[in-house]
Amino acid sequence: MGLPLKKYTDLLVNYLRPQWRKTLLMVVLLLVSVGLQLVNPLILRYFIDTALSSRALASLTLVALLFISIALTNQAISILATYISENVAWTATNMLRTDLVAHCLSLDMAFHKAHTSGELIERIDGDVNTLSNFFSQFVVHLLSNLMLLIGVLFLLFGINWRVGLAVSVFALTALLILIAIRSRAVPRWIAERQMSANFYGFLGEQLAGTEDIRANGATHYAMRRFHQLLHNWYPISRKASLAAYAMGMTTITVFAIGNALAFALGAYLWSTGTITIGTVYLIFYYTNLLTQPIEQIRNQLQDLQRAGASIQRVEELLQIKPSIVDGIGTPLPAGALSVEFRNVSFGYVEANTVLHDLTFHLQPGKVLGVLGRTGSGKTTLARLLLRLYDYQEGEIYLGHVPLRSVSLHTLRQRIGMVTQDVQLFRASVRDNLTFFNRAITDARIIEVLDDLGLAKWYRSLPKGLNTELGSDGEGLSAGEAQLLVFTRVFLANPGLVILDEASSRLDPATEHLIERAVSKLLMGRTAIVIAHRLGTIQRADEILIMGDGHILEHSSREELAGDVTSRFYHLLQTGLEEVRT
Amino acid sequence: MKTFQFMWQMIRYRPWLYLVDCIFWTLVHLSPLVPGLIALMFFNTLAAHSHLSFTLWGLIALLIVSALARVVVLLGGALADILHRFTMSALLRRNMFERILERPGARAVPYSPGEAISRFRDDAELAEDAISWTLDTIGECLFAIVAVAILLTISAKITLLVFFPLVSVVAIVQMVSKQLEKYRTASREATGNVTSAIGELFETVQAIKVAGAETYVVNHFQELNEKRRVTMLKDSVLTQTLDSTFGNIVGLGTGLILILAAQSLGTTNFSVGDLSLFIYYLAFVTDFTQFFGMFLAHYKQTKVSFERMVTLLQGAPPATLVEHGPLYLTKAIPELTTPGKGETHFLDTLEAAELTYRYPDTGRGIERISLRLKRGSLVVVTGRIGSGKTTLLRVLLGLLPRDAGEIRWNGQLVAEPATFFVPPRSAYTAQVPQLFSDTLEENILLGLTEQNVDLQAAIHMAVMEQDVAELENGLQTVIGTKGVKLSGGQAQRAAAARMFVRDAELLVCDDLSSALDVETERTLWERLFAQREATCLVVSHRRPVLQRADHIIVLKEGRVEAEGTLEYLLGNCEEMQRLWRGDLHS
Repeated sequence: MGLPLKKYTDLLVNYLRPQWRKTLLMVVLLLVSVGLQLVNPLILRYFIDTALSSRALASLTLVALLFISIALTNQAISILATYISENVAWTATNMLRTDLVAHCLSLDMAFHKAHTSGELIERIDGDVNTLSNFFSQFVVHLLSNLMLLIGVLFLLFGINWRVGLAVSVFALTALLILIAIRSRAVPRWIAERQMSANFYGFLGEQLAGTEDIRANGATHYAMRRFHQLLHNWYPISRKASLAAYAMGMTTITVFAIGNALAFALGAYLWSTGTITIGTVYLIFYYTNLLTQPIEQIRNQLQDLQRAGASIQRVEELLQIKPSIVDGIGTPLPAGALSVEFRNVSFGYVEANTVLHDLTFHLQPGKVLGVLGRTGSGKTTLARLLLRLYDYQEGEIYLGHVPLRSVSLHTLRQRIGMVTQDVQLFRASVRDNLTFFNRAITDARIIEVLDDLGLAKWYRSLPKGLNTELGSDGEGLSAGEAQLLVFTRVFLANPGLVILDEASSRLDPATEHLIERAVSKLLMGRTAIVIAHRLGTIQRADEILIMGDGHILEHSSREELAGDVTSRFYHLLQTGLEEVRT
Repeated sequence: MKTFQFMWQMIRYRPWLYLVDCIFWTLVHLSPLVPGLIALMFFNTLAAHSHLSFTLWGLIALLIVSALARVVVLLGGALADILHRFTMSALLRRNMFERILERPGARAVPYSPGEAISRFRDDAELAEDAISWTLDTIGECLFAIVAVAILLTISAKITLLVFFPLVSVVAIVQMVSKQLEKYRTASREATGNVTSAIGELFETVQAIKVAGAETYVVNHFQELNEKRRVTMLKDSVLTQTLDSTFGNIVGLGTGLILILAAQSLGTTNFSVGDLSLFIYYLAFVTDFTQFFGMFLAHYKQTKVSFERMVTLLQGAPPATLVEHGPLYLTKAIPELTTPGKGETHFLDTLEAAELTYRYPDTGRGIERISLRLKRGSLVVVTGRIGSGKTTLLRVLLGLLPRDAGEIRWNGQLVAEPATFFVPPRSAYTAQVPQLFSDTLEENILLGLTEQNVDLQAAIHMAVMEQDVAELENGLQTVIGTKGVKLSGGQAQRAAAARMFVRDAELLVCDDLSSALDVETERTLWERLFAQREATCLVVSHRRPVLQRADHIIVLKEGRVEAEGTLEYLLGNCEEMQRLWRGDLHS
């Protein structure tokens, strides 16, 4: 039956349970509504038969008024039910969205490199929106329509068992046929949603890269790829839509047969004198009334198709487990932390080792300067320390505690990192600095900005900390953005600071500006400064030179500077400005 | 531009398809007339005779046949509508995208990608629905007309008196729909906030992880969701109230019919068959009214959607949104043609005078900058952060629209730098280059055909051969979003290769070597100058670049502080000295 029923019910139960009271109220309202819908046709029958046999006008008019009042009551109930159901749906799907976001945030960096943010928007918002229907309408409409269906069949049995039996068989057959058709449609809907995600992933990237596209004369190319995506999307979309239409067409055929059945039975029973014309009409009316529940069930099943596709995709997303297992929570010592690598090997892809059997030890409070060509493994070192990736062999110790046993939360609190890849977002300066952590006071933020020498810049902001930055840090120059990121780290209180080519985007004059503050930051803390420029590591106590994932040289700065045979010495003499290995 | 004008232009794009679509759907909507009439005849026959007659069985058979015919017509309508709908939204999306690509590259999209995508996805879909529903409106309208005509012939009194509630409903819609627009805008905005928050969250995921800020960020997200829930609830409850009012007209109408029919039921004026027809058609006619009401409400929402999509056009006439152009949905897409390099592309001198631009939100920028570039020279623009270096490059290349100033290429005035400064005249590498989810080769070529260019030479010049050799699939390796699977230095060199392969007269680089170590950087410049007479305009503060420069321009706070050779500047310009010295400190 496509997706196992259990998955649907699991999701239902999980996200509706916190709102069981409201859900219950909804169900009660619906029962009442169903009852009212079943009663009205009976009033019609009474009306017809009474009108044909006698003409008691007054009572007929009363009957008609009763009919109207029931209709109005029904409407009031349906509005109330809608309000409750929509509320339940939005609360439930908001919970789901939040869970999905929290889950995705916990996934490894490897996952995030493989999925564009445009795609994740489609999955978290697009797919969950489809589910919103599922929560609000499925329970409400499917349940109420099932009850209506059962009620009608029950009443028809009451009229005449032949009629009851025939229509029950008909209803059951109709449902089975519709369900069978549904299951064939789910894979088509999944494919359609994937194409949709691809398209919007592409679009998101292109929108972010307009500068590059324009200046490199690639606009026609971008348009061409756009057209290609549409061209490929259309046939898949068509297949998916046709599958949905197939259900509609089946419904029409099936109900024509149902009506024919009602007419035939009604005519037969009328001819044998078993029932009145009013009853013939009643059978006809009830059979037509079945159209609504069966069609609604079909609709809900159709929405279920889409929801099924979305549930599958949501489940897939939730199934992805982070391979980085949180530590048990061994506490770290306070103050500056020592760092030790013991025979550590690692590769982003198992086959290609990037770090080979790395061993070194850094005492607390010391500054280690790491030099090496791009690709020598310097940044990888930092990523491993933060457990953005997990090393495959060996062990890393932080403050003499094995890295894997420290809780991730503690780890990231105690280590601060500034990289050249600045990540800012569309929010106020304050929120960009604190990541929405309300516990950090403005006074503290301003104090840190002052320390950093950014006081002048801060005062130049039109709305101070409330100034809104554009997405991706628009409104700041790249260097200023970098300084903001420095501020972020200063706001925490790390025991280990990692600067990964953090000043590469700063011009030398600005870099000079914050040197003093950096010194302040490094006081009483261990630091690893990764750079390929000598100037950046002037303050290092020890030097580590890496090449191709190996340690080429590691010793105290003084020693290496004094040793004429060392690489470092060679650098100091010839390099003057930058590293050459 | 009015909503119906937008829609009319869209319909005119594929008029014949729309017509075919229309015909099919009119038939689809007219088809319920038939079962109603069959039921009428059935009940009348039943009342007339008390035994089963041949007519009865004939009618039952006719019922089934008409249903089959209806299915066939529905299939035709489906095929036409699916294509038409897809075409409609594709047209809007294409035009928005094309327009964005025409805008100055650094100011192309006024919102976060998430916000922009919400317009591409949801607003275009809404417009698509609106147009498709015009067909249903026409069909149902025709049905209503025919049905009412039939009913009038049966009993004019009942027909007219029953349709009063229908008219009143339309009136209610008009009154309430004003409110609807306000709620719809609010709910769309709240949705936009949520989607853009998701987008940004994942763009900055590394920073969030590193700061251990997941919990706070998720809480913030929850708040945004809550705001959305509230606005959505208001919006949908209102819509639902309207819908259910329409839906209930059947009930009210039936009641009214009963009251009016009480006198005449059973007489020759009004049979049970007539009653059944009235109730049957009533349901459909009120379906029409409900649908029409929904269509009107939806029309109001469509107005909001068109407005939102027009904002993406940023100043282009609104008609651009619905401009006709080829979509290639079923046809083959024509190949790209790359212009060859000709005489008009030759660079002798490039001059800029009094270039001025201010960012509207921060008020900072560049003011009255002039520069001159001769063929084969290397001009370096330098200065501290925020001094306007990137802005200058962008304004020169038309990636930002200049507020004032002139640009001359070989003495000729350049009217539109945005369209002028493209390969083979110039090529550009941004400070933070964007790479796309595609193979490395495609990222470098970006539309050029491999046969026409020297890809290997470009890779060699960018000092990337080793990196390419070390990648899993070499040039065919797919690089992830923003080329992140590559290291910072590799990404920059890939962007450099992308620039080199275009064989441009003028190379413009913003801080090309910030992620490169000195050896790689030195090799890159060496190879570049060895192979060709390159004219380069570069932003940098790296010593080897400054040492190589023929001319240096020092910017400070958006103005030219000084210019000249390195020797001259080091002797006479304090800012230059400070910049130069900042690299080492004693």
